Amino acid sequence: MSEKGIGGKPVVFVDSWTARYEYAVGEVAGKFMDGLKRKKILATSCSKSGLTYLPPRAYCERSFEKCDGWVEAGLEGVLEVATVTTIGFQGSPEPPYAVAYVRLDGVDTAVGGYVRGLDLGDVEAAMDRLRMGTRMRVEFIDQPQGRVTDFYFVPA
Amino acid sequence: MPEQVAVVGTGQTVFRSLDRERTFVEQAQAAAIRALDDAGLTPDDIEAIVFSLAPTAFMGVTEAERWAVDHIWAGGKPMMRVHTGGATGGSAVHAGYSLVRSGMFRTVLVVGAERMGETPDAQYFLNQIWDPFYEKDLALQTIVAGAFLGQRHMNIHGTTEEDFARVVVRQRRNALKNPHAHLKGEITLEDVMRSPRISYPLKLYDCCPRSSGGAAMVLGDLDTARRCGGRPAFINGLGGVSNTVFLGDRVVPAAEMDLGGVEEHRIASRQAYQRAGITDPAREIQVAEVYDPFSTLLYPALESLGFCDPGRAAGLEKEGAWEPGGMVCVNPSGGTLCTNPIAVTGLVRNIEAARQVMGRAGDMQVPNVKQTLATALGGSGQFVNVTVYGQDHH
Amino acid sequence: MNIYVIGLAIYPPAERIMNERLEEMVYTTTRAALDDAGVTRGELDNVVLAASDEFDGRSISSMLMAMPAGAYLTDEIKVTDAGAMGLCLAAARIASGDFHLGVVASWCKSSKTDVEGLMRLKGEPFFTRPLGLNCAVTDALFGRAVVERWGIGPEEINDRVLAAYQRAAGNPRGVRHRVPSPAEVADSDYVSAPLRQGHRAPMTDGAVSLVLASEEWVDAHPEREPLARLSGVGWATDGYQLGRERLGGMHSARIAWDMALKRAGLGSASEVEVVEIESQTGFHEAAYVRAFELEGHPGLSPSGGPFAQNPYFCSGLVNMAEAVLQVSGRAGPVQVQGARRGVGHGCHGFAQQANIVAVFESVEA
Repeated sequence: MSEKGIGGKPVVFVDSWTARYEYAVGEVAGKFMDGLKRKKILATSCSKSGLTYLPPRAYCERSFEKCDGWVEAGLEGVLEVATVTTIGFQGSPEPPYAVAYVRLDGVDTAVGGYVRGLDLGDVEAAMDRLRMGTRMRVEFIDQPQGRVTDFYFVPA
Repeated sequence: MPEQVAVVGTGQTVFRSLDRERTFVEQAQAAAIRALDDAGLTPDDIEAIVFSLAPTAFMGVTEAERWAVDHIWAGGKPMMRVHTGGATGGSAVHAGYSLVRSGMFRTVLVVGAERMGETPDAQYFLNQIWDPFYEKDLALQTIVAGAFLGQRHMNIHGTTEEDFARVVVRQRRNALKNPHAHLKGEITLEDVMRSPRISYPLKLYDCCPRSSGGAAMVLGDLDTARRCGGRPAFINGLGGVSNTVFLGDRVVPAAEMDLGGVEEHRIASRQAYQRAGITDPAREIQVAEVYDPFSTLLYPALESLGFCDPGRAAGLEKEGAWEPGGMVCVNPSGGTLCTNPIAVTGLVRNIEAARQVMGRAGDMQVPNVKQTLATALGGSGQFVNVTVYGQDHH
Repeated sequence: MNIYVIGLAIYPPAERIMNERLEEMVYTTTRAALDDAGVTRGELDNVVLAASDEFDGRSISSMLMAMPAGAYLTDEIKVTDAGAMGLCLAAARIASGDFHLGVVASWCKSSKTDVEGLMRLKGEPFFTRPLGLNCAVTDALFGRAVVERWGIGPEEINDRVLAAYQRAAGNPRGVRHRVPSPAEVADSDYVSAPLRQGHRAPMTDGAVSLVLASEEWVDAHPEREPLARLSGVGWATDGYQLGRERLGGMHSARIAWDMALKRAGLGSASEVEVVEIESQTGFHEAAYVRAFELEGHPGLSPSGGPFAQNPYFCSGLVNMAEAVLQVSGRAGPVQVQGARRGVGHGCHGFAQQANIVAVFESVEA
């Protein structure tokens, strides 16, 4: 049973966490980020399973072998799935915004990114332009930083 | 010889946004007491504990299960904590099951609590589940994963937003008979369709709430079940499977299972059915408590669990197949759409499925229940576990 | 209990591993364990992970870590208490008869974050956190309690630490810390009295994976010779509130020890040749030696224990791996001759709130 505070309301303690982490990027993600700075999207490949991966992995989840090749992804591809988000969340961009997974030419898996160049005011209309199978194109920001937000998708 | 494993008691607290009257450990304690009472056992009868607790960021104490030790009479006993994201509660049941089935312990208390409302920053923590280099910057949340899932099902089977909305209407109504449920009420299709858009095709009413509360289950061997009396629910089958976190791997032709079909449920349930001797789930299972944090998840889950053919679940909803009295009663408790205390949601699914077999489901009781099923789901929809309960041990 | 360890791998530890991200470390270790066992990932029917979100800096660590640990489309489950707890659950799963071939994987990059800051967050907000209790302070309280209980002098603590460093120096699987001088240990600054900086095993980065198999699997694969049989396992937790009895009583330690030995059909430490203890500090070793009746035991932590490597979250599982290496004759320079039975111990929670003990036996050819 909690003590009732003044006015009969339960007593509350307030505290907050700050935890800092140093995430080692590793070799694979490091090379990917460098590629972004050169406006290239680099995928890893596994000769045993034949799969190419974006985001790039150090090992193939199917064959459980180390990925042994790098492939430069095409800068166009097929939209596999997308959504328009109309509510703001902490840490997210101002809504509305759209996130899509696009299977870039030459790569087996789809990579996520924001979609630009679309009027998101009418959600249904925007979703109509983001159907499965739509061709999308990659564009880079002027000064890539080595983060996944260096590129975004626009309808091709 | 493997031991038979039975649920001999369950307990829950009433779930709501935040319980300011009790601390985390008091919530866990309340649930444990209710489960022990339900079983007719005392804390001394418990030989081991499995604690069900997912991210602790919500309630701001790491390893909070360690804090709970004194409150759940775990001092001097073996205790472990299981954490598989949203699937945690189901995984905790599976862990407890193994502890009894192996003969290592005769009684196990599976218990947990959730206090998602303790921080206003829950979304920030949920954003930390994604890959820090590749995906965290994309403001992904589990809601977006649920949205993608719905998209894929709509594209492949022509399911509509109204179809998904029907799930919400049925389950909110079911929850009226569930004294523990968080959200409940008579709502209409229009209410769902007009609720604010969040992430297409999901609208507010298509999404689960953030709930707080506690839940517990007591598992025992055959001797314990006999001692406790009443009608236990035997765990006759279980299965679990994990897939990759990367959504982009699961929406492409090269995917071994498409995100929209939640085919992991097929793998996990196939294991469970095989262990339980079930060949026709729609006929042999009377109640299914399916983990559905978003309305878009239920139809593909039911299809993947083998209750009907792919693409048929929405049509069957319209025909009333999933209502109480229908072909299979789905989520009589209201499901996860009505109550989602992440650390124990999977445990609640299992509790509700077990209670139906035990004849202790109160106003939700479906008549002539022989076997039931519970699922739990976690991560980016990547962790799935399934548990089958029966009146007789298989 | 007939569960077999058929392979294992320990990642080359370091004070700070920055060239590989966590996923890559765990893939490397798990892959090596599978290769050691001579099985492929596709043959597994289960995976047990042991990991801490807080140490990993992820809110649901297994989302990213399950696949590197070999869990693709496999029944995978995760515990959060300690690496060694993974072994407990894996043992139960195999002993249940439902699973036959599985991986237990655990890891820890202690260097990644401020560990003491993390530990402080374990304190409940009302009575514990305001006191700033963390790992150092609670270990100090533990040290104080055991010194009082048994009248242990500071020389014994210092001697134990030095001896551990010396043993560790010979362990090729450790970090190979420089062995400090006696003065460096004895005169090091207090962190929190009576705990001195020099008494604490330095935290390091590492990972460990084991492959476990059921008796049925082993019988069906006579070409694969198991490394060891897991003959007994036990675990228990003490209460949360710190107090003299809780700190110095060693209750959960003793309960875990008795449970494990009883399951293994053994009566005391005199029946095992190796006991690898998780001695986070010299005080821990002094306390466990008394609690487990290891005075004069010739096989006390031959690996050096945490003074060889201390990937904090999974040091107990590393101990268990070392015990397996001992009874399978693969421990190299730190091999105890004729070791046929070995114990691996782990502890976790504030001031060893909980303890885990596993007994391994060598397998006849």
